[in-house]
Amino acid sequence: MAVFYQGIKEGLLLIMSLDRELIQITLLSLQVSFSALIIAAILGIPLGSVLALKRIPGRKIFLNIIYTLMGLPPVLAGLIVFLFLSNRGPLGQLQLLFTPAAMVIAQVCLALPIVCGLTARAVMAQPQEVYDTAAMLGATRRQAAWTIIKESSLGIVAALTTALGRLMAEVGAVMMVGGNIAGKTRVLTTSIVLETRMGNDSRAIAIGMILLLIAFLTMLIILKLEKRTFKDGGTIQVI
Amino acid sequence: MAALFRLYNVTKRYRSREVLNIRKMEVNKGRIYTILGPNGAGKTTLLRVMSLLTVNDSGRIEVFGEEVSWNKSQLVRLRRHMAMVTQTSFMFKGSVYYNVAYGLKVRKRPEPEQRKIVKECLELMGMSDFADYPAQKLSGGERQKVAIARALAVKPAVLFLDEPTSSLEPNSAMDIEHYIKFINSQYNTTVIMVTHNLFQARRLAEEIFFLWDGKIIEHGSCEDLFTRARDERTRAFLQGNF
Ligand SMILES: Nc1ncnc2c1ncn2[C@@H]1O[C@H](COP(=O)(O)OP(=O)(O)OP(=O)(O)O)[C@@H](O)[C@H]1O
Ligand SMILES: [Mg+2]
Repeated sequence: MAVFYQGIKEGLLLIMSLDRELIQITLLSLQVSFSALIIAAILGIPLGSVLALKRIPGRKIFLNIIYTLMGLPPVLAGLIVFLFLSNRGPLGQLQLLFTPAAMVIAQVCLALPIVCGLTARAVMAQPQEVYDTAAMLGATRRQAAWTIIKESSLGIVAALTTALGRLMAEVGAVMMVGGNIAGKTRVLTTSIVLETRMGNDSRAIAIGMILLLIAFLTMLIILKLEKRTFKDGGTIQVI
Repeated sequence: MAALFRLYNVTKRYRSREVLNIRKMEVNKGRIYTILGPNGAGKTTLLRVMSLLTVNDSGRIEVFGEEVSWNKSQLVRLRRHMAMVTQTSFMFKGSVYYNVAYGLKVRKRPEPEQRKIVKECLELMGMSDFADYPAQKLSGGERQKVAIARALAVKPAVLFLDEPTSSLEPNSAMDIEHYIKFINSQYNTTVIMVTHNLFQARRLAEEIFFLWDGKIIEHGSCEDLFTRARDERTRAFLQGNF
């Protein structure tokens, strides 16, 4: 128990001392995960919506593949990206291995199926009436599709939240393709692994606290965002 | 008189069960029609086929003198002359204002015009105070009024109403009936209405279609149907023997 107590104490001190290395690691963590999330959102929200709304051939199979990839183990994603980016791999010439860019690519692989799959589900869960009402009010297919996507906004926010949680928390992928190089590709989760291995248990706990703190702050922001959506109805009240 | 809708041998089946089989049906411009019939007779399905929301399995449909080919630009073009108030009056997330302005937005009408029309339509339905209210929180009756305002906002040539006063108290229902008559006479709007209220049918309809098991078993002027119904089932229904 002492190690927890010590860790929490040291963690608070470390956070308050604004340790430069720690700040750099934290910022890189945020940078990598948010970049990956934004790319996954730009690709995944439209793709998920199309899969939900368009009767394209092979749609069912494609969706099932995406649902399966939602459970893609981070190390496996890391391994695949590693093989692609390694010197002997097809993209070896880009020299991206062990850079933050490689970490972003690996994290996009993890986030994309989640954003895409959960967006598709949220859109498919909309009742037929949404389309019918839009169409009867004169909407074109494109306008109606946009309306359906807007009606699904709550589910889409949930998809992004889930993906972000996964990205911030994973070690396997960033470790594989980033290599945990100090000052270059070291992020919060890989630091925890390293510090624990070196016996710096309390420092590891301190970094863990920062991760929790980030999760807490992100959740606050998401709640703010959701409040704007919830405001217009849709909340279930249970007394 | 030009027919707005012509249906010939139009059928629709759900899982091999035939729910609609219209031998012949014509709807003319500027009249008020009522569709009567027991639950599950196919009234909503008929409205959906006419408003091009449900594709028929066989037969021929002409809308505004044009044969329906179901290509998407034709659908949007034809539907933009129609409006519908459905049985459930679905409301989009967002304010009452957003809902009523929706049809004008998708038609890309200028913003000031949208504001003016929405205001008029909400006033007409006595719902002005609710403009900023979240539409999904409205009561059933309020929702129905907003749905009517939303349909009127686009100034349709044809107005489909699926039990538009089912959730309204008598006074509001009466107001709506007056208003249906008003737009029909003022703008020559064709009204096609499903109702379970026989008195309402009698007050409003110029022509009545009686639907039974997906088929039109009786069609005639309101007077004819109520006083001289030919089919035994129609007579029984009108006398309330169900
Ligand atoms: N999408 C659907 N899938 C399967 N069956 C359907 C579908 N829509 C309608 N039906 C069936 O078709 C029949 C006619 O339905 P419809 O909604 O047209 O009846 P209705 O005359 O409007 O009834 P009500 O007075 O209860 O509104 C019903 O038996 C219904 O169960
Ligand atoms: Mg019905």
